[in-house]
Amino acid sequence: MGEDKTGGAALFASPAKVVSLPQAAAPSGQDHLTWAYQTHVTAIYQYIYSRVGNRPDAEDLTAQVFMKAISGMRNDVSVPELRSWLYRVAQTTLADHWREYYAEDAGELDDDVTRPPAPRENPEAVHRVDALLATLPESYRRVLELRFLRGYSVRETAQELSLSETNVKVLQFRALNRAGRERGRMS
Amino acid sequence: MNDDPEQLDRHVEDLLHDRKPERTPLSDEDALRARQTAAMLRAAKPGAGLPSKEFVERMQASIGGWVGEHSAQPQPAPRPSRRSLLLTGAAGIAAGVAAAVGVGRLMPKAAAPSLNQALVENGAWKPVKALADLPQGTPIAFRSGAIEGFLIRQGDEVKGLSAVCTHMGCILNYSKFRNQFECPCHGATFETSGRPTDQYDTPLPRLPSLQVRIERGQVEVYSV
Repeated sequence: MGEDKTGGAALFASPAKVVSLPQAAAPSGQDHLTWAYQTHVTAIYQYIYSRVGNRPDAEDLTAQVFMKAISGMRNDVSVPELRSWLYRVAQTTLADHWREYYAEDAGELDDDVTRPPAPRENPEAVHRVDALLATLPESYRRVLELRFLRGYSVRETAQELSLSETNVKVLQFRALNRAGRERGRMS
Repeated sequence: MNDDPEQLDRHVEDLLHDRKPERTPLSDEDALRARQTAAMLRAAKPGAGLPSKEFVERMQASIGGWVGEHSAQPQPAPRPSRRSLLLTGAAGIAAGVAAAVGVGRLMPKAAAPSLNQALVENGAWKPVKALADLPQGTPIAFRSGAIEGFLIRQGDEVKGLSAVCTHMGCILNYSKFRNQFECPCHGATFETSGRPTDQYDTPLPRLPSLQVRIERGQVEVYSV
C-alpha cells in the first residue's frame, strides 16, 4: 500500500478505509495552536474564573494567557508539557493581575498563585469550597452559602438570618476575612 | 487603605453580577485574601465559571487569524497585536511573553493546501495498543503525545477518533451504557461514528478521525 501522500502522514488502518479528515471549520484549518486552544480553553478559563470570580476579568485574562502562550510555544509539545506551560502562564498572568489591580506596591505574591495547580483542578473546586466552609463557624458558613452558592441579595440574606442589612455586610466581611485566613492555612 | 464591610460588599456584588470589580488598591493582605476567597466561592456556584460560546469562538477566530498571519509570513514573528485579540481591555499582553520558553517555529511552513488537513503535522507513528487487546466494537480511550482519542475495532480494522469535543474542547468520555461519547462540560454527545447527536443551535462538527495503522499486531497512531 502507498506509504505516503503529501506531507508524509497519510496511512490508515485499512487501505479500503482511507478516511479523509473533515474540513476544519476555521479557514486556517486544524493547526496545532488551534488544537491546543480548543483542548484547553475551558479548563484554563475555569481555572482563572475560580480566582477572579467574574466574567469580564476571566475573559480578559484567558485571552492574555493564550496569546502569551502561543507566541512562545513550540509546535511539538506533548500534552503534559502543553498543560503545565498553559497553567504556568496562567499563574503569572494572575499574579500580575492581583498586583496591578489591588496592591499599592508590587509586594509579595499570594502563595496561591505561585503553587503549581493540580492538573485536574476544576472537578475539585467544589470539594475545596466545602472543605473551606467546614472550617468556619455556623453563622459565617450560612452567610457565605446564602450569598455565594444560592445567590441571595443582601436584603434576602438579612430576612433569612433575621439580621439588618448592615449586619449582613459585617458578617460577610468577617466571614470572608476568616475564610481567607483559613485558606492560607490550608494551602 | 483599610478595608471595610461596605467596600467588600460592593466587590461581592460585582462578582455576583459578573461585573468587573472596581479597582481598589489594598495594602492589607487580609483584604486581598478575602477577595480571592470571594472569587473562589463565586466560582463554586453551580453553573458558574464556564466560558461563553461567544467568547470561545471569538478567541478561536483571533488565534486562527494570528496563525494565518504567521504562517503566511515566516519572518521573525512579532507577538500577537492587541488588536488581534478583538477583546476589550485585554491589557498587558506585551509583558514578558517569550521569555520563559524556548521559542520555536510555530507552524510548519505554508503547508500546501490539502483537502486532508490533518490534525497532526510533523509527527510520527506511535504504538498505542496491541490489536489483540482491543475488544470488538467498544471504543477504548488512549493518549499518545498530544493526541487523546478512541480506538474502535471492527473486525481486523481499527478506526481512530479524536476524543476532543468539537464544542469547547473538553475531553469526551465513552458511555458503555448508552454507547456514545459524552462531554462532561456541556453535555454534547456523539455517536461512535463521530457524528454529533445533540441539539445545539448550530450543529457541532463531527469528531475528526485520526490516522491509525496496524504494524505487526500493534495499533499505531500518527501523533506528536
